[in-house]
Amino acid sequence: MTALTIDRINKRYGNLHILKDISIPIGQGEFVSLLGPSGCGKTTTLRCIAGFERPDTGRILFGERDVTRALPEQRDIGMVFQSYALFPHMTVAENLSFGLEVRKVAPADRQRRIADVLAMVRLEGYDKRYPRELSGGQQQRVALARALVIEPSVLLLDEPLANLDATLRDEMRFFIRDLQQRVGITSIYVTHDQAEAMVMSDKIVVMNAGTISQFGSPREIYERPASQSVAGFIGRSNTISGKIAEALGQDGYKVETPCGSIGATGPAGLSKGAEVKIMIRPENISTRSQAASGHQQGAGAEEAGSGENVLAGSVVNSVYQGSANQLAVKLGSGDRVIVDVNGRNPLEVGEQVALRFAARDTWLLAS
Amino acid sequence: MTGATSGVEKTIWDRLFTVLVAAIYIFLMFPIVLVVLLSFNSGEFLAFPLEGFSLRWFEALFSNKRFLDATLYSIQIAATSTIVNAVIGTLAAIYVARHATVARDYIRLIMTAPLLVPEILTAIALLFYFYEIRIGTDYSIGIQIGHIVVTFPYVFLNVSSALFNFDRSQEEAARSLGAGGWMTFRRVTLPAIKPGIITGCLFAFVISFDIFNISLLLKSLGSNTLPLELFDYLRFNFDPTAAAIASLSIFMTFAAILIIDRTVGLRSLRF
Ligand SMILES: Nc1ncnc2c1ncn2[C@@H]1O[C@H](COP(=O)(O)OP(=O)(O)OP(=O)(O)O)[C@@H](O)[C@H]1O
Ligand SMILES: [Mg+2]
Repeated sequence: MTALTIDRINKRYGNLHILKDISIPIGQGEFVSLLGPSGCGKTTTLRCIAGFERPDTGRILFGERDVTRALPEQRDIGMVFQSYALFPHMTVAENLSFGLEVRKVAPADRQRRIADVLAMVRLEGYDKRYPRELSGGQQQRVALARALVIEPSVLLLDEPLANLDATLRDEMRFFIRDLQQRVGITSIYVTHDQAEAMVMSDKIVVMNAGTISQFGSPREIYERPASQSVAGFIGRSNTISGKIAEALGQDGYKVETPCGSIGATGPAGLSKGAEVKIMIRPENISTRSQAASGHQQGAGAEEAGSGENVLAGSVVNSVYQGSANQLAVKLGSGDRVIVDVNGRNPLEVGEQVALRFAARDTWLLAS
Repeated sequence: MTGATSGVEKTIWDRLFTVLVAAIYIFLMFPIVLVVLLSFNSGEFLAFPLEGFSLRWFEALFSNKRFLDATLYSIQIAATSTIVNAVIGTLAAIYVARHATVARDYIRLIMTAPLLVPEILTAIALLFYFYEIRIGTDYSIGIQIGHIVVTFPYVFLNVSSALFNFDRSQEEAARSLGAGGWMTFRRVTLPAIKPGIITGCLFAFVISFDIFNISLLLKSLGSNTLPLELFDYLRFNFDPTAAAIASLSIFMTFAAILIIDRTVGLRSLRF
């Protein structure tokens, strides 16, 4: 069942087209992130859902109810702002009480719900404090509690962790996600931090310049990006250009590249001769010193029928990072490939290496 | 590193500067101190040397019906100006901050004009205008409007700066929690801008109590504000009653500053 439907909304400011036909179906209890570079329209989308902006065309449905024209206070939302937006002249308890008073909840009930939600965000005993007497992380949790205490049908969060330091941010990611799952509330989360979106979300909406580049689970987006821009935005990736030489079954292809023929996986329906880029994630490539592997330099890329590809290259850069070290390898074709290696057998700059990766770990992107 | 140390060490220039500032303050405060001293002097004349401590001039002040009436009249006008400006100054500030779009800077300029235009010009302009609409100086509404116009910018500017420093997402938070426009204003916006309103109102009151030119030109016959009464008095008398009146005004101003400091804190004052 869809809890929230965003149906082809468009938004213009003057002659700037900010949102272009945005459609997102969101299931009950799902945690959906809006992810994209600065200025791509994430906040605008969220504000349309909240009712602070009105889309020029398109509809927004909460369940079956069309709220496109409803005022924010009529929508039954909880919202967490980047600046927290706590009421500075009210104590924590009064901040939480506000939404309940508006809803005419009886005083005894109010007390109980405030106590419950304060326990949930681990802030028991802080009810008499003023926001200025709290740390950033505590204010953040009060903001979360204030949004949750009214038990809204949708929780909206606009970069709530952007003002926290890195350690606290990591902690709060899991805290928010855990809380969201316990309460089971449908949530929409705006961020431009891809790592945050990856660890927290059920689904990610990757946005770019007012359009949706891809909508899917973190795994789909990471392993099967829809375009080069998505692949580049989510995690690190290598690409090798080539042409489809042959389709093998549903999603297997043989791709002709300057380094030889490579077996790769890709979306169904790519036609022979199409220009493509082969995407390989750095952690999916294994290396072996050329001398040890016994391979001849410039040997054919794919080991026939095995689904394994082997490319030769030379190390041009090696970065020590402690646990996972990084190598930059220059291929015969001139392409540079980034590879993750473990620290135990470091390779020197200038050394010849064989790069090995499976066809199922690659993904073809239209160029 | 030199930048860091120069902040700690006091150079000769720092000391000279301190002395200069102190001198300016003494120069400015000296007349005020003199007036207060003279108001407690038992001598017959508004002059030195001091003869002895006495409250007789305050007694004279409060037993003088003309001064008493003038004080009450001034308070009435100042209070009316304050209350009216509390409402329209706040509303104007909200309008300019929230709804004026293209013409915002021009509207802001017009709103603060009474502060920028010399008071006497405002007075003359209003006088012409009142004659034009056939009120003239027959009613006290004229002088009242004059006072409202001149003190308006103090409330407007203070509330504007309070609104400028106010994080509007608080209002959105209130809306998201289900509060309507009025509820949001009453429980979130108003408490946030209250210090600005209080400060602006106190300024408006003190300024209205003090201004002279507007009152001189716009007053109706037979009613004097305190500064006017004082002016009339000084033309024919030169005894310390005048000093007592001045002291009274100074006390009121200090009282206002004290109230501002106690309620909202002088630190929050920014124009
Ligand atoms: N009130 C407005 N008037 C004109 N343009 C606006 C307005 N609000 C937003 N925009 C423009 O709309 C675009 C999208 O803005 P939005 O705030 O949604 O971006 P975002 O994806 O949230 O970016 P960020 O990560 O920086 O917060 C931006 O180019 C912005 O300049
Ligand atoms: Mg944003």
